[in-house]
Amino acid sequence: MSESTANHTFALYLGCIAPNRYPGVESAAIKGCKKLGIDLVPLKGASCCPAPGAFGSIDMNVFYAMAARNLVLAEQMKMDIALVCNGCYKSIWEVNHKLKHNKDLRDGVNEVLKEVDMEYKGTINVYHIAELLYNDKFVGVDKIKDSVVNPLTGARIAVHYGCHLTKPHKDREFEKEVMLNTEHPMWMEELVAALGATPVEYRNKMQCCGAGGGVRGYDIVHSLDITNEKLINLKEAKVDALTDICPFCQLQFDRGQIEIKEKFGVSYDLPVLHFAELLGLAQGMSPQDLGLDLHGISCEPFLQKVL
Amino acid sequence: MAKSKGYPEALEKKLHDQRYYREDSTPDFTKRVEDKSRTIAHMCFQCGTCTGSCPSAPRSTYRIRKFMRRAVLGLESEALNDPDLWLCTTCYSCTDRCPRDIAPTDVIMAMRNMAFTHDIIPVNFLKTVTAIYSSGHGVPNNDVNRAARERLGLTRDPPTTHMYPEYMPGIRKILDHYHLKENADRIIKEREG
Repeated sequence: MSESTANHTFALYLGCIAPNRYPGVESAAIKGCKKLGIDLVPLKGASCCPAPGAFGSIDMNVFYAMAARNLVLAEQMKMDIALVCNGCYKSIWEVNHKLKHNKDLRDGVNEVLKEVDMEYKGTINVYHIAELLYNDKFVGVDKIKDSVVNPLTGARIAVHYGCHLTKPHKDREFEKEVMLNTEHPMWMEELVAALGATPVEYRNKMQCCGAGGGVRGYDIVHSLDITNEKLINLKEAKVDALTDICPFCQLQFDRGQIEIKEKFGVSYDLPVLHFAELLGLAQGMSPQDLGLDLHGISCEPFLQKVL
Repeated sequence: MAKSKGYPEALEKKLHDQRYYREDSTPDFTKRVEDKSRTIAHMCFQCGTCTGSCPSAPRSTYRIRKFMRRAVLGLESEALNDPDLWLCTTCYSCTDRCPRDIAPTDVIMAMRNMAFTHDIIPVNFLKTVTAIYSSGHGVPNNDVNRAARERLGLTRDPPTTHMYPEYMPGIRKILDHYHLKENADRIIKEREG
């Protein structure tokens, strides 16, 4: 394989939930990527992406302008963006894509950005970290395998893909074509297997976590009922952990299990880890270094299996 | 609105008049929904793939197909005043599967935008706005997390607006351009006193 050994550098767009609720995701992403030849440098002064459910529902124009401001910060650094959250991907990637292709939108946004001495130029690209890890142009499954020092052997791990990275696939432009399969994708399972774990499929795995669109705040019981359906299906598959690539989904599955116990009287005790955290573990980071003790649902039973 | 197919003028007029057959319809609603959502809502042939794909449908009265019909028939008031409008999780499964390549999710978002102009909006959406106006983040940092970040070898506050509050005036200026904070405060006050 004629793989490039050159280092790639990206501006790391953090969003809200990862740095402020699951800081291990931030730490694992930076350290894990470093070992795989990717430098993630801070995107100084970034704000909320803004939340696509809340802002998109209120006023699309504000949504475009706020996302464009984050994009301009990266344009000023002359760096592509890497991010760790599906919701952020929806905002940052999609607005970048729309502004690049629609002059009317771009002109409208730039009129507002002029008030803060900024101009959106459309000079950078936006990537989700899962995409960088899967695409061998940047990392690829083989390189991940080589970086594993603590294989997660024996652990049965299910994947929650989430919605906003790949849906709607008609609008997405991934270099890896398998990422456009939104009915029955398997590329995340390949990543899980690269860490030595056993990927496990379950009924209706592409269903939404239930948190998005402002529904978690609008009708928590409705939102958790969707999550609960997924948890029932996961329980049936007898998995040791669930992995996700979106801190908002993670919040919904992790803290959500506590709320489900309160409201529905059912408990699952299913550990939920962002793929970056899982990668960190497999690369030898300790659970303490990953802040796994901050999770709502204890990761202990899973950790005992893999450490 | 459907593109002209080049029929004789009289037939065009007849087709146009028949499109909206209810007295309470707003004739230009379809066009406004389409402009805002940038999707071809009028092409919907009501197959129901959207509702069949919807995670909210089995546990509520929310039917995305119904909202698509309202878009086509111009039933503005019925659409914007229905509390089910806010049960879409924006999972985009309907958009992903629509056989006519319409984006029903974006139709919902357009309707929500229109509802907001009539002050129809759940308060939790507005609270996200006020959180971002004050700190730049929808989910802000707290002391427990600051201590954890330090332990993990990260900066106590992430290198976002949290660490660089000097970026906040620019963010507020953008939000103020749309009078968003002002409107959010007013509506929250009206609802919660």
